[in-house]
Amino acid sequence: MKVITGVVGNDIHVVANRLIDLSLRARGYEVFNLGVNTHLEEFFDAAVETGAEVLMISSLNGEAEGWGREVKLLKSRYRTLDDLLMMIGGNLVVGSGRTEDIVARYKNYGFDIVCHQVDLNTGLDMLAELLQERGLQ
Amino acid sequence: MSQENQKLLIDVGSTYFKISTLDSIEQHFRDFNKDILDDLMNKCGDTVSRFQKDDIYICSSANGGLSALIIGVTNSFSLKYATNIAFNSGINIIDTILYQNIEDYSVPSDIIDVVIIVGGVNSHGGLFSGALYSYLSQLNYSNIVFVGSEQDAPAISKEIEKVVVLPNIIDDRLHIVEQHLKEYLTNLYQQDIEGKEDIKHLYSITANQIFSTPYIVNRALPYISQKFPVADPFILLDIGGATTDIHYSKDLVEDNLTTENEYDRLVFKRLGVYKSRQSLILAAQGNEFVYELLTHLKVTEKIFIDQNEKATRILMQLAIFLVLCKTSHYGQAYVNLKLLSVNSIVFTGGITKVLAIEDIETIIAFFYRKILSSGHRPVAILDSNYDIWTLGAKV
Ligand code: B12
Repeated sequence: MKVITGVVGNDIHVVANRLIDLSLRARGYEVFNLGVNTHLEEFFDAAVETGAEVLMISSLNGEAEGWGREVKLLKSRYRTLDDLLMMIGGNLVVGSGRTEDIVARYKNYGFDIVCHQVDLNTGLDMLAELLQERGLQ
Repeated sequence: MSQENQKLLIDVGSTYFKISTLDSIEQHFRDFNKDILDDLMNKCGDTVSRFQKDDIYICSSANGGLSALIIGVTNSFSLKYATNIAFNSGINIIDTILYQNIEDYSVPSDIIDVVIIVGGVNSHGGLFSGALYSYLSQLNYSNIVFVGSEQDAPAISKEIEKVVVLPNIIDDRLHIVEQHLKEYLTNLYQQDIEGKEDIKHLYSITANQIFSTPYIVNRALPYISQKFPVADPFILLDIGGATTDIHYSKDLVEDNLTTENEYDRLVFKRLGVYKSRQSLILAAQGNEFVYELLTHLKVTEKIFIDQNEKATRILMQLAIFLVLCKTSHYGQAYVNLKLLSVNSIVFTGGITKVLAIEDIETIIAFFYRKILSSGHRPVAILDSNYDIWTLGAKV
């Protein structure tokens, strides 16, 4: 199973990104890590080049709030990404907010799994569960 | 005298040729009714005959490079990487096609020298299908190369006649691998130069390989400070009869791809003052700042119709301005150089025989003020004795 990961926008918080890379590999995924400072188009382009099944975006400084709004439109321009499983985690807003609201908002943006301030291992368990549900793992 | 000192260097350009010995440099306009060799022997036969075949080194920029069309599956990886490699090999890119929309692109009518197909990491496959083959069946091309996923290579080889398959330019970490495609394209360019009948004849006076001039210039750049007081980072403009070349160090590009060579090169094919004079004028007329620049130079647009020395001088000044524009945020070209960090601008090529340093400085000042709203003034350096080319030929 191939996973694209990286930190969206102009966000340079790199520590979580390294941990995600290691943890995914430890769980047997093939990882394509785009690192920090990654733009949305690059995430989708990487999915096209690699045929990845999962896109796992991090946002630590909260920038994703802005980028999230563009996800649906941008993704609709790609012809081969309809089945891409989309996941996002980290600090998904600038400042604070109610988790239910934040999750609902990002689901509306087109994400299948939303992990606002959720610990990484819990998040990866959620991914495994969904993959199983969809008969992918 | 050391052996190196006894070399004769010859550069064949689209407009004139120049020959350089240890103590002299000559430049002659080409006579297009004559074969290059005849023309050369006619004008400098005495000098040439003083040298052994082993000591004569020739380079040529007479053909302005090859044309390429690139078909890739994404903008951020396959198209970007192939474009970068092609530019660095001296290739002019006619168009890039995003594969998923290939049916929406029109088919160029010109013959394309080389088509490059790229897409996918090696662990992915099945990226191309019938749409690719039907597009290619309408296209006129001389060479075609596949540098995408190795899983797709067998199908591509089966469907496309005479396709050359090379290792993927995208590695397993989605990073660029330049080497193989670059070597292939550089060789094609080289074969193209050597294949020209005119150039073939030149092998009767040299025992050495004939290289392309931009290759020679690029090779000289790491050693440039041996000849000029150049402050890094610098850019080099080679403004010639048919094309304008810009060479720049990698630190000047925002979007840094990790590649092995230090200097990149970009060609503006129809931006020359003799052979492509008309398209230079057209480009100038399309630039909203040019009229202000003409006023600044105290001339009117009548200069575009004039055919005198002054008009040539003004056109060369415009060529400098246009190239700088094209590589700035204003130009939207393939690269966007950090021009505010540039400390020196080196000029070489025919331009150095026509413009004085003040003619150039005024353009640089105008460009930085108007386009970049800055008082920054990189130092202009004029390579008026073809030292850079001599340096590159000797490396
Ligand atoms: C170190 C740090 C920096 C360093 C970064 C160095 C580097 N290159 O990494 C520096 C000083 C440069 C920095 C800069 C800034 N920072 Co800072 N930074 C931190 C800090 C203190 C620690 C981050 C860290 O590395 N944590 C360790 C890792 C392992 O934990 P983590 O990042 O939280 O990730 C975990 C989870 O979130 C989760 N996770 C992450 N991504 C994903 C994805 C998925 C799918 C899943 C399931 C889970 C998951 O997994 C990880 C492990 O459990 C945090 C505060 C904090 N204590 O968290 C602020 C913090 C992230 N920074 C913050 C801010 C605001 C900034 C700046 C804007 C400050 C400024 N005004 O200049 C800049 C932004 C720079 C930029 N362009 O991005 C805010 C963000 C606030 C928000 N979102 O509302 C924080 C939260 C501090 C705060 N409380 O205000 N920062």
